[in-house]
Amino acid sequence: MAVRIGLWWALFMASVKMFVRNRLALFFSLFLPLVIMLIFGVLNFEGSTSVSLGVVDEARTDASAALVDGLDEYDYLEITEGTRDDELAALEKGDRGFVLVIPSGYQSSPTGETGLVAYASSADPSQAQVGQGLLQQAVAGAMLSASPGSMPSVPALTPPVTFESVESRDLGYIDFLVPGIVGMTVMQLGLFGVAFGFVQLKRTGALRRLFATPTPPAYFLSAQVASRVVLGYLQVAIRVGIGIWFGLQMFGSWLVLAVIIGLALLIFLAMGFGIAGWAKNEDQAAPVANLVSLPMLFLSGVFFPREAMPDVLRSITGFMPLTYVNEALRGVMNEGAALVDLGPQLLGMGVWAVISFVVAVWLFKWE
Amino acid sequence: MSTSATARPDAGSGQATAIISVRDLRKRYGDLVAVDGVSFDVAEGEVFGILGPNGAGKTTTLEMIEGMRPIDSGTAVIDGVDVAADPREVKRRIGIQLQASAFFDELTLVELLDLFGRLYGRGVDPMALLADVELTEKAKSQVRTLSGGQKQRFSIASALVNQPRVLFLDEPTTGLDPQARRHLWALVRTLRDRGHTVVLTTHYMEEAEELCDRVAIMDGGRIIALDTPQALVDQLIGRGFRKARVERLANLEDVFIDLTGHDLREDD
Repeated sequence: MAVRIGLWWALFMASVKMFVRNRLALFFSLFLPLVIMLIFGVLNFEGSTSVSLGVVDEARTDASAALVDGLDEYDYLEITEGTRDDELAALEKGDRGFVLVIPSGYQSSPTGETGLVAYASSADPSQAQVGQGLLQQAVAGAMLSASPGSMPSVPALTPPVTFESVESRDLGYIDFLVPGIVGMTVMQLGLFGVAFGFVQLKRTGALRRLFATPTPPAYFLSAQVASRVVLGYLQVAIRVGIGIWFGLQMFGSWLVLAVIIGLALLIFLAMGFGIAGWAKNEDQAAPVANLVSLPMLFLSGVFFPREAMPDVLRSITGFMPLTYVNEALRGVMNEGAALVDLGPQLLGMGVWAVISFVVAVWLFKWE
Repeated sequence: MSTSATARPDAGSGQATAIISVRDLRKRYGDLVAVDGVSFDVAEGEVFGILGPNGAGKTTTLEMIEGMRPIDSGTAVIDGVDVAADPREVKRRIGIQLQASAFFDELTLVELLDLFGRLYGRGVDPMALLADVELTEKAKSQVRTLSGGQKQRFSIASALVNQPRVLFLDEPTTGLDPQARRHLWALVRTLRDRGHTVVLTTHYMEEAEELCDRVAIMDGGRIIALDTPQALVDQLIGRGFRKARVERLANLEDVFIDLTGHDLREDD
């Protein structure tokens, strides 16, 4: 039998109409995320006064180690040690305020001829100014305390650190939040939008009524999936639009973003249809959908960075599908990552897509 | 909608062409034998009733004939098409009203009928279909706003989009008030007069007596009697059966209809 495009289109449009006319669903898909972003946008979770400092120790001498130890004494410095490449990359991403490079051949010198170079983030000039002062003071202090007695307690003639500005991103909480909200949206659409709508059709018998016609069920199912995919993109567009209004920045390619969202939709739609295909009614579908979605909602880094979690929990939840999705979304939106940069995330998402699809086919029952 | 009224065949005479032919149909669910060797013919233009208590196998029999449920063994042929061999072709030729008729919420009656037309690969005139079941004024409403009787009538309209040769109605009047039930009876008679063959199940004996040319009485997955309602009654009386109390000239339902009238009450 030839594929009937007209019929398929009619089913697709019917599915879209049903969604748009369902006021409750519309409220949850449009209004709720706006409220969430308003709440989190108004509450500012950035208010930290510390300076994030990356230290690159290329000297690897007692003197350089002593300097690092000395800097560690300053509570307002959040010190991370790493290689020059890693730390500079982190600076560009906006994860560090400064990167201090201790060159090989470094010698502690109270007169200021240290060769120390600090790279400063260009993101927030006023904060950089304050940070520079704090860092000069800390380095001078650290050098003094590293070799007590040998130095006359006179202030250095020249500041010990030379600063260079590095072009870097100024990421706000909104830049963190929106990709998380986008990931959450796709998950909710798949798990709840699909699971509940479909189970309802199953329970009431509306689906059976379709089987009384000669049209194969695959038409209806594929039209339903397609309409949800289109609606998914539309919802994501609305959320990103609201985000831009709140100052969201997009560093990557929209096409890459679309690909990631497409893959994410695939995962969660398959999960949704798995649940909907298994459940006999909404009462069965609800707890399962919640059981699947709630851990991800809180542990996949939707609202807060996963770095704050205990290590064990973090490694376990690193395998959750929404974690891969959120990492990939942040990769492209915050860091401008291309698809090739997102290998591990795409692999993780691909594996979940296959698992979800196989399980959905296995569980699916029309009646 | 075809309006060519075919003459009502001499019901049960066996001379009319059988449009449905069922032979030794069986269905079992695990240990439960739901349908245990059912055979019957339905003549073209006939209204055929399947009666029986709950769990007698009426709906399962109907669903197997409709191609909605796989047949374990036996054959069902509708309009020359073997159901097991080509259920899709059978569905093209029949109209089905399911026991629990549900439709997509959020779509209007017109939109639904249009969509159902497409599911049969044909254009329909939704307003004409709605006129047939007297729901014209509800064209832009959604199914959930309809009363019970209106829902059943819409369900029948949806089963008519493909101008089916055979119409299957599964308990079409269950849960309706006496007025709505009589209204639906009138609709079924109209459809029969237009040439549709009708197969229906019911729990109401007066409905079967009123509508059906022949009835099959099922129990325990078997047909235990099959004839015209009058012949079945005559056979019973012939066996010496007498009612404990002779039927009065009217009963309570007649009183009810006399007092409340034939007009439909739709709580809109």
